[in-house]
Amino acid sequence: MIDHDDALAIRAEGVSKRYWSVTAVDRLDLAVRRGEVFCLLGPNGSGKTTFLRMLTGYLSPSAGRLLVAGHDVVRDGLAAKRKIGYVPESVPLYAHMRVGEFLRFIARLRKMPADGIEAAVRRAAELLALTDVLGKPVRALSRGYRQRTALAQALVHDPEILILDEPTNGLDPRQIMETRTLIRSLAGRRTVLMSSHILSEVEKTADRAGLLLGGKLLGVRSIPETPDLESWFLSVT
Amino acid sequence: MSSLVVLIRKELHATFTSPIAYTVAAVFLLVLGYTFSLTLFATKVANLNYIFHQIYVLSILLVPVLTMRTFAEERRTDTLELLLTAPVREISIVLAKFLATLTLVLGIFAATAVYAVVLGVYGEPDWGPIYSGYLAVALHASLLVSIGLLMSSLSENQVVAAALSLGTFLMLWFADSVAYLLPRPFDLFAINLSLIGHFKPTVTGLVFLSDVGYFLTVTMLALFLTTRRLAER
Repeated sequence: MIDHDDALAIRAEGVSKRYWSVTAVDRLDLAVRRGEVFCLLGPNGSGKTTFLRMLTGYLSPSAGRLLVAGHDVVRDGLAAKRKIGYVPESVPLYAHMRVGEFLRFIARLRKMPADGIEAAVRRAAELLALTDVLGKPVRALSRGYRQRTALAQALVHDPEILILDEPTNGLDPRQIMETRTLIRSLAGRRTVLMSSHILSEVEKTADRAGLLLGGKLLGVRSIPETPDLESWFLSVT
Repeated sequence: MSSLVVLIRKELHATFTSPIAYTVAAVFLLVLGYTFSLTLFATKVANLNYIFHQIYVLSILLVPVLTMRTFAEERRTDTLELLLTAPVREISIVLAKFLATLTLVLGIFAATAVYAVVLGVYGEPDWGPIYSGYLAVALHASLLVSIGLLMSSLSENQVVAAALSLGTFLMLWFADSVAYLLPRPFDLFAINLSLIGHFKPTVTGLVFLSDVGYFLTVTMLALFLTTRRLAER
């Protein structure tokens, strides 16, 4: 039984995910503090996406316990999901909808009160510089705008915790910098848990990083206290 | 607004902005209109029995086209991840897709009510079999749509989903053909599994609770299995 600590936004204890004989995540223990930007660092196939998907309730853990904002993601899944905004790596959007319509749909799905939806959509659109494309169909957006729309849908219901799977994947340098600035601007007010396989990205964005390899968490480091992240990465792996 | 209503609105929007819906509706109504006119002029009999049987066959062929994209498309584009990580229950997602697709199918069937009106204006039809016929095709549609959803939830390839649906429908249609090869009680089971065996009496005006129960039971079983399929992650 995990005791809930108010200072923690996310807590994992002995979490595993097995597919037949393959173990994607292996007895992972992790604590993410409220208001910090925490990055799961690791190469492709290290279990980052599987762990994030378990946190969001998309996958069920094979073993262990996961608490999100104090709610057990298995036993109290709906309450846990209400606390989360999530951007999957593939940036899924409904292509047949217009951007504003899509954000309103997500806000309603996230059970926002009807009288607050328009203001929330406007706020998210302003934050992500989407105001000019609110009337455009999603299918007509460029990659950068699609990423921003995905971030806006994750923020529209003002979640406590933001989970971002490889948020800068496929973006050009300017878009990467903008995304990084946005994530840093959210720190303190929201907890951000993101994944990345790019060391420089982690250095510039995260407060702390956890190194995941073969489904195991090999270590957690404070970024300001780890001047040479690359050396740490090489020494651990 | 409840999650189910939000999801139904989204599904209806997706359904009615898709060219597939209009193509299927056009094919359906064109073939039925042709049959209705031809049969009416040839037989001059004021009933819709042949129309209901044609709806039975056309539904088996065309419902897979409508249901194939429901889950397969969401899986392919990863939008299912958006739905399943939102605070909504799997049953709401399944019911929304079921009700939206069924609305489309029943809407197409409703357009054939104009044939009944024509018969009413120019002849003296027996309205009992017409009412029970519409009950039969509505129950038939709900069964087909629910099985189509189940098949779509099993694959991310739309063509595979459509082929699985069509295969299942045909197996159910001809399930009683194998009965004479089976010992008791399996022969009775095969006979009672038959889609046409439960459709025929209802469409001719004989409404038995067992036939209505068959359609509703299979529909609910398919919706339950689809929900379980979504929940198994």
